[in-house]
Amino acid sequence: MIKYGKPILKVGSRRNGRSSAQKSARRIQKGVIHVQASFNNTIVTVTDVRGQVISWSSAGTYGFKGTRRGTPFAAQTAARNAIRAVVDQGMQRTEVMIKGPSLGRDTSLRAIRRSGILLSFIRDVTPMPHNGCRPPKKRCV
Amino acid sequence: MPHLLLHYHTPITTVHLRSCSFPSPKPTAHIHLRSNPTPGATVKCMANPRRVKMVSKQIRRELSDMLLTDKVLQYAILPEAALGADRYLSSLTTISDVEVSADLQVVKVYVSVFGDERGKEIALAGLKSKAKYVRSELGKRMKLRLTPEIRFIEDESLERGSRVIAILDKIKAEKKTLADEDYEEEAESSVSAQDDTDWESDDPDEDIIYVK
Repeated sequence: MIKYGKPILKVGSRRNGRSSAQKSARRIQKGVIHVQASFNNTIVTVTDVRGQVISWSSAGTYGFKGTRRGTPFAAQTAARNAIRAVVDQGMQRTEVMIKGPSLGRDTSLRAIRRSGILLSFIRDVTPMPHNGCRPPKKRCV
Repeated sequence: MPHLLLHYHTPITTVHLRSCSFPSPKPTAHIHLRSNPTPGATVKCMANPRRVKMVSKQIRRELSDMLLTDKVLQYAILPEAALGADRYLSSLTTISDVEVSADLQVVKVYVSVFGDERGKEIALAGLKSKAKYVRSELGKRMKLRLTPEIRFIEDESLERGSRVIAILDKIKAEKKTLADEDYEEEAESSVSAQDDTDWESDDPDEDIIYVK
């Protein structure tokens, strides 16, 4: 099966060893930040352009538990800490992909902008079915 | 009728409260406990505060979902979506808070827009123009006896908070660079007069004596 768009890497143990040593010292200038903002939590993942994850952080990893994970302040700290780990690697331009309906996406965007990284694009990638699976039943209040 | 008064002070489910707006065979003295005592006016019943919170949370979920999925609303917020901008956004609209009045008739929706001035104006104007459409959609999605009136208000608190934090960060960075500079001067222990005057002005009470 031919995969288009991605170079087919030949798997060899020596080759893998070298690439992993290279990855830790790699300077990536362009990257993608994925923000998944649900009502109860916000997860910020920094990847490279191809989608391989470099680092991630979420509101839950920084001491927020329970209902406080969903607050916008928690989203802000998660975004700041995710970027701090990557700015050292020399990331300058990023594209932001936002998923989910919540306040976390707004505040994390503001935190990303404040931290000095150049935002090239903002995309909204909330998964939307073209009327596929049946959604769960409505909550009656 | 003191014992009947006692009965109405226990937590009542909303079914009972709502039923007092219909003409019922019960004497009107019961209704006057919680509503306006003017005769002939429409009786408004206050709902349980817990129910108000649940309804506001549910409205928030529904409205956010509508903002994300509904085509009509998206064209109102972002006119370039109509041109097929394929999700490369210039501004991002989020619902930060929903406040429901105690009688579940008025809903204030606080909207926060990320983007430049023009994007903000366009988004808010678009939302305000679609308020009636939003109200009818909400009525279709949620099971409420009376769909509340929806008002969109711009929420600036997030922006203000962001500005404050940016200023605090700047101050912290400046302090850090100042502290670093001071630390370097201490390590060098230079003999110039300017340094001595600086130290005197900064720390008059310090016991450290710098050898000239």
